[in-house]
Amino acid sequence: MQVFKLCLMIIYKNKATLLIYIVIFMVVSSFMSSVSAKEMEDSTSFKPVKTEVAFFSDEDTPLINGFREELADVANFVDIPDETVALQDALYYREVSCIIRVPEGFTKKFMNGENVQLEKISIPNSTKNVHIDLFIDKYFNTARLYVQNMEGITQQELVRYLKKDLSETVSTEMVEDEKKTSDMASAKYSLNFFAYPLLSVIIMGMGTLMLIFNDRDLKMRNNCSPVSSTSISMQFVLGNLVFTFLSWLIMLIICLAMNFRNIFSPNTVFHIAGSFVFAFCCSGISFFIGNLTNSHEAVTAAANVASLGLSFISGVFVPQELIGSSVLKAASFTPTYWYVRANNTIADLTVFSYEALKPVLNDFLIIIGFGLAFFSASLAIRKAKTND
Amino acid sequence: MIVRVRDLVKRYGDILALDHLSFSIEEGEIFGLLGPNGSGKTTAINCILSLLKYDKGEIEIFGQPMRPDAYDIKRNIGIVMQNVAVYNELTVYQNIDYFCGLYVKDKNTRKKLVDEAVEFTGLGEYIRFYPKKLSGGLLRRLNIACGIAHKPKLIILDEPTVAVDPQSRNRILEGILELNRHGATIIYTSHYMDEVERICSRIMIIDRGREIATGTSDELKAMISLGEKITVESYSITEAQISAIRELHGITSVEYKDNKLIIKSEKGTNNLETVLDFIRKENIHFGRIYSEMPTLNDVFLEITGKELRD
Repeated sequence: MQVFKLCLMIIYKNKATLLIYIVIFMVVSSFMSSVSAKEMEDSTSFKPVKTEVAFFSDEDTPLINGFREELADVANFVDIPDETVALQDALYYREVSCIIRVPEGFTKKFMNGENVQLEKISIPNSTKNVHIDLFIDKYFNTARLYVQNMEGITQQELVRYLKKDLSETVSTEMVEDEKKTSDMASAKYSLNFFAYPLLSVIIMGMGTLMLIFNDRDLKMRNNCSPVSSTSISMQFVLGNLVFTFLSWLIMLIICLAMNFRNIFSPNTVFHIAGSFVFAFCCSGISFFIGNLTNSHEAVTAAANVASLGLSFISGVFVPQELIGSSVLKAASFTPTYWYVRANNTIADLTVFSYEALKPVLNDFLIIIGFGLAFFSASLAIRKAKTND
Repeated sequence: MIVRVRDLVKRYGDILALDHLSFSIEEGEIFGLLGPNGSGKTTAINCILSLLKYDKGEIEIFGQPMRPDAYDIKRNIGIVMQNVAVYNELTVYQNIDYFCGLYVKDKNTRKKLVDEAVEFTGLGEYIRFYPKKLSGGLLRRLNIACGIAHKPKLIILDEPTVAVDPQSRNRILEGILELNRHGATIIYTSHYMDEVERICSRIMIIDRGREIATGTSDELKAMISLGEKITVESYSITEAQISAIRELHGITSVEYKDNKLIIKSEKGTNNLETVLDFIRKENIHFGRIYSEMPTLNDVFLEITGKELRD
């Protein structure tokens, strides 16, 4: 086991450099994951926002006054001179999202049951306007119901009914355990981000190790010894796996320490299992890259391209839900995609039966398959190079 | 017979690196492979060690065919590569221990062997040094220590003294002779004639992958027609005097260039006294006069028409 021991000695000699890599990557990814988790947390909670509206009315009736009063709940009225240029400027510079004008005779026609419309000019494709549109529809559709069904209803009565109806609210309760969901989201993002430092550190570390082992003179010297090239390769793979395990363990401890609130959840056990399986695959990738590179610069470049590239397309930095289907299709040919997918599934698990875990286990098997494929390809390359 | 190479042919594309090379080495010999750079010495060594595939030929070591998986044979071979092959991340001691460990499993035995190798190569003061801190000569000694620590029966040294200062070179050569005295058979490749002449019991001169001549140093020199070479450093020799020297008995050629008169004699004749008498009689003023016997370079020159050192 001379080669294996040598691997360990070289890793030990390079421990300072490797620890610096690990700490830097973990700090960066923890920061990024906490920001993403916060953003996602924010995106699931609702906060009403008022829209800037310019309101003009060519008549002064109780119905329109009541409408304006109710509209104030969802809109901030902005005073703008009623001049074409001023109104166009206000829209152009986004001082208002829309301009609403009540034409003369609107109330009379409405109360008579005729089909009338408010005049509305808005910024194209503005999402805020949807809220205003919904409110206008809601107000006048309800009003129309009263006009059609209560003959002789006065505007004052109508406004009073509308005020009462629109003030009605329905309370909604989230079924999910809010605290757990929030913690799990944070853990999910941290562990998704874990893929990036894990890939980077393992490729960098293994690449450095392999540069030493792939030195032509040393390789020839080792091949002169009575140790078979297969044994040398296998011992090297073992050294590689030990390095991977140690890196994974250190990074996992840091990652869990940052998500300690969630540490005793059963989901975490599967998250850890997933990250371990992924670490094995990273080891295969780094072994593969290490066999193709022959300089420190090439290793650094490969580590950046592989870790950033795989992370970007697979949903490490951006949630998979926001990535296009064609990109995800391409990403499904990478192990990172399956790792993130498994993580997302694990985070949503509330039941831990075989049926519930089956998709997760499938993803794990695919990741292991990727790892084995990379190891096999690397060993084939090594064998071919030795024969040359 | 320790090594037998028969009809070895190795091609690199269109280049014939080894051209039907054959030789054999007896136990206890120091066999020198002498040839200019690119003559095929390292290629031959790499083929012998099964590091390179060859196109034709047979190689036997210790009476067994040599193959990449002939681990029993490899166990008894020590190799000192042309380029220093040590790990910069390990200390001197750790490097020797690592390479020795590829051959010797037992920890105690290995420790003893490593200590002996350290003492043999005089690296005792440097065992905690990293290779990057060592001078060229010390690095070469470390390279040798890594190759011989497991006490192999056959040691192959491929140009072990390249870029080494004279003091380290002497130490290395003395060490090789000592290894041989302790029973190791040695293959030594070099393009330095003086080294090969000094330590090798038998020498094969190769050029362009072909055997030029094989024998002891004396046997090789006896193969050529050239005998003694006398050099007279003088600036006042006339054409008539040169012609007169040319007529002396046993002289094969006389050349006067850069104030040096070079007189070459037939094999087996000594003309120093005759030349001195002539100089005295002609009253020729000279700075120095000296006589040399033929060297391996003369052998190479006469057979190939070019200088070995080129």
